Amino acid sequence: MTDITMPPPVDELAPEPPPSGPVVWARENLFSSWGNALQTFFFLFISWQILSWLLGKLVAEERNWDAVLTNSRTFFTFNYPLEQFARMWFSLGALIVAVGITLIAFGFEPRVRTSKIVQSTIGLGAAVAVIGVLTPVSGSWRLGLIAVGVAIGVVAWLAGRALPDGQTLPFWSLLVGFAVFVMVLVWIVPWGQNEFLDGEYIDEPGTVNITTKQPWTVMMGLLLGSFFGARALARVVPRRILQLAMIVWWVMGPAFLLFLVLRDPAFDWGYVLAVDIPIALAFGLGGGALLYWLTEPVRGEIARIVGALLLGTAALTWILAFFGVVSMLQKIRLSILFLALFALAAATFAGERSVRLRYAGIWMGFVALTHWLITGINTPSTLDIAAPPFIGGFALTLTIAYYVMLASFPIGALMALARTSTLPIFRILSTTYIEVVRGIPLITVLFFFSIMVPLFLPGEMELSELAAIFIGYTLFSGAYMAENIRGGLQSIRKGQFEAADALGLTTAQRTAFIVLPQALRVSIPNLVGQAIATFKETSLIAIVGGFDLLRVGNQTVASQPAFLGQSLTALFFVSFVYWVFAYSMSRASRSLEEKLGVGSR
Amino acid sequence: MSKVIDAGMSDELAAREDMIVCRGVKKWFGDFQALRGVDLTVKDREVMVVLGPSGSGKSTLIRCINRLEVHQEGDIIVDGVELSNDVRNIDKIRSEVGMVFQQFNLFPHLTVLDNVTLAPIWVRKRPKAEAEATAMQLLERVGIPEQAAKFPGQLSGGQQQRVAIARSLAMEPKIMLFDEPTSALDPEMISEVLDVMKGLAQSGMTMVCVTHEMGFAREVADRIVFMESGDVVEIGTPEHFFTNPTEDRTKLFLSQIL
Repeated sequence: MTDITMPPPVDELAPEPPPSGPVVWARENLFSSWGNALQTFFFLFISWQILSWLLGKLVAEERNWDAVLTNSRTFFTFNYPLEQFARMWFSLGALIVAVGITLIAFGFEPRVRTSKIVQSTIGLGAAVAVIGVLTPVSGSWRLGLIAVGVAIGVVAWLAGRALPDGQTLPFWSLLVGFAVFVMVLVWIVPWGQNEFLDGEYIDEPGTVNITTKQPWTVMMGLLLGSFFGARALARVVPRRILQLAMIVWWVMGPAFLLFLVLRDPAFDWGYVLAVDIPIALAFGLGGGALLYWLTEPVRGEIARIVGALLLGTAALTWILAFFGVVSMLQKIRLSILFLALFALAAATFAGERSVRLRYAGIWMGFVALTHWLITGINTPSTLDIAAPPFIGGFALTLTIAYYVMLASFPIGALMALARTSTLPIFRILSTTYIEVVRGIPLITVLFFFSIMVPLFLPGEMELSELAAIFIGYTLFSGAYMAENIRGGLQSIRKGQFEAADALGLTTAQRTAFIVLPQALRVSIPNLVGQAIATFKETSLIAIVGGFDLLRVGNQTVASQPAFLGQSLTALFFVSFVYWVFAYSMSRASRSLEEKLGVGSR
Repeated sequence: MSKVIDAGMSDELAAREDMIVCRGVKKWFGDFQALRGVDLTVKDREVMVVLGPSGSGKSTLIRCINRLEVHQEGDIIVDGVELSNDVRNIDKIRSEVGMVFQQFNLFPHLTVLDNVTLAPIWVRKRPKAEAEATAMQLLERVGIPEQAAKFPGQLSGGQQQRVAIARSLAMEPKIMLFDEPTSALDPEMISEVLDVMKGLAQSGMTMVCVTHEMGFAREVADRIVFMESGDVVEIGTPEHFFTNPTEDRTKLFLSQIL
């Protein structure tokens, strides 16, 4: 056969894209037919009516927005004592610094397209103008709003035309923009100085109080400082270590702030040195040595036996305690239980020396942190506050929501695995738990844990209100979490199980390395939906006595003499706060999905 | 029907050690009988190709060998260890027997390198650095070392199947089972996988391959097993099988595919 040389194919020109623009878009999507046009007009009319009614409510005569301005501290921290407020600021500052470092550690520095910013700004201008048209305000206000809206839109549009296509801004410029925005809010915008001084209501014109300005300036400094500082740090410290540190911080840090900073425990240092630290050392070092020994690959069998024995011991200590036979510190019982779980998992994570050292190290870190926190929690607080939980308002809402999500996640994962297990006893137990809890309203669960459970506890044990709410809500949320994760587990193809089996992985290894990581990834949208629901439903803790954000707005603010009957005003604000956080979570989950989706299939 | 366990063996082959022995293996799915008493011996370093129409029980048979399916009657002895319900025996056999699936079954959330090193690190308890070095050697052997950092979803089907082979080899198995390894591939990618399998056969690996690639069977197999309706119909050398089959059902099958 002779060589055949083919001429390279010649590309034809792609056809011109059809004309586009808002007019074309509207014609094709909103007015493509008579019926469509009719629907468009109908729904425009309905939305118009609803919006103008809502906006009318917001600016109505009886709305006194001073109720929100004056009570901003109450909304977020309820009656946390003013003279101790530096602790609150310290906690917020710590959270902000953690956010800054976390952004860097996990490489979240997306460049932002300027065209997107321009579009959003045009949208903002249009929204302002529409609000101007719809809101029942006086003529000059209306004209002013419309003019401002149009001006914003036009300026943004002109800027968009002047900027070259496809230009992007680094992420830090957005952060700086945010900080500047907050600075303008606290230093320039004349909100007026409203506050209660010794029960007297004071309302003066001007910008906000210096006690608001100063801390917020520091906070914004911390945000930018931690972001750029972490950037410099990331050049020296490996990213994996930063990530690990931040994960540990986000699990333990908020509890540290809650119990050691905000509650200010009155430590009896003599007791701590004589009892607490020796116990922690014994468990940490002894347990670490035991685990190091057990993770030797040949000792898998012994590890299981030791784990089972420890598990039995832990159960026995509780049973004996129930009958009042053996008294023992609760944290010793808990530590035996945790050591049992670590020992049971030892065979799965057995390996070479460095792996075993790491496993023992994780145990020691775990002991240090849990013992420290338990000591902090068990020590009486120096704070003198009338209402039972030492925090309230949005701080309480956020704390409960965060820790319920965090704690219900492993419960949900375990329950989901148990429900899909081949062992009938696990399946029956978890199915019963899930179906019972899902059949009961959250309020009932909360009542049960805050009122009934304390009655059943043995004499010397106490359950604080916060702990009761937390346990009840976690068990409730765990059942829903389990169902979400089970959905993810079921989506995993049989071939993945077979491949893992064919390689000789044990069931525990198959679950930990193959099944769960994939199932959780699939479950993200549902888990975030659940997280948002958990966040919003924290408002139910008001019924069992917590002063959460909603109750502060609905009850505390509305009962102040200066703002009698302003509950609707407060509720508008409360809804806005809930919305901002829920919407941010949903946006964050979408970008997380996109990030994890890369290369997965 | 009389079947001879060591049918079609040369004297040299017959003298080798037994790697897999199946005796009267029966398997039902509900009322449907998938295996009707299969007798088979696979010798050390032998390449056995299993042919047959779909639904003939070929895949079921090799999936019984590493107990992804559980046979109900008969014995299967792999490298001297009898398959029973004892979990330790199963795990031991599975870590000695590699398996390559039709649908690759790579772990999509792990990189190629992590796919290959996972089992050596956690099952064989190898140090990570050593496992990675071995993995890179294996990826070179199957011709895709440059893809180590990618995720399976970013590879072509042929590349994925080669990673799957490397993943099995990383456990240093004594036996490799192939369950229609090329059936899910585009035609132009089949040869790259078959080439890897040929290389493996030449290196002396004991292999049992379920496949429809007649060229591969003719060129590489020591013996060919023809199955139909859960029965072994005929066993013989490729030459015997393709040129001079004795059973009518074999002749019919060959006339349909050749």
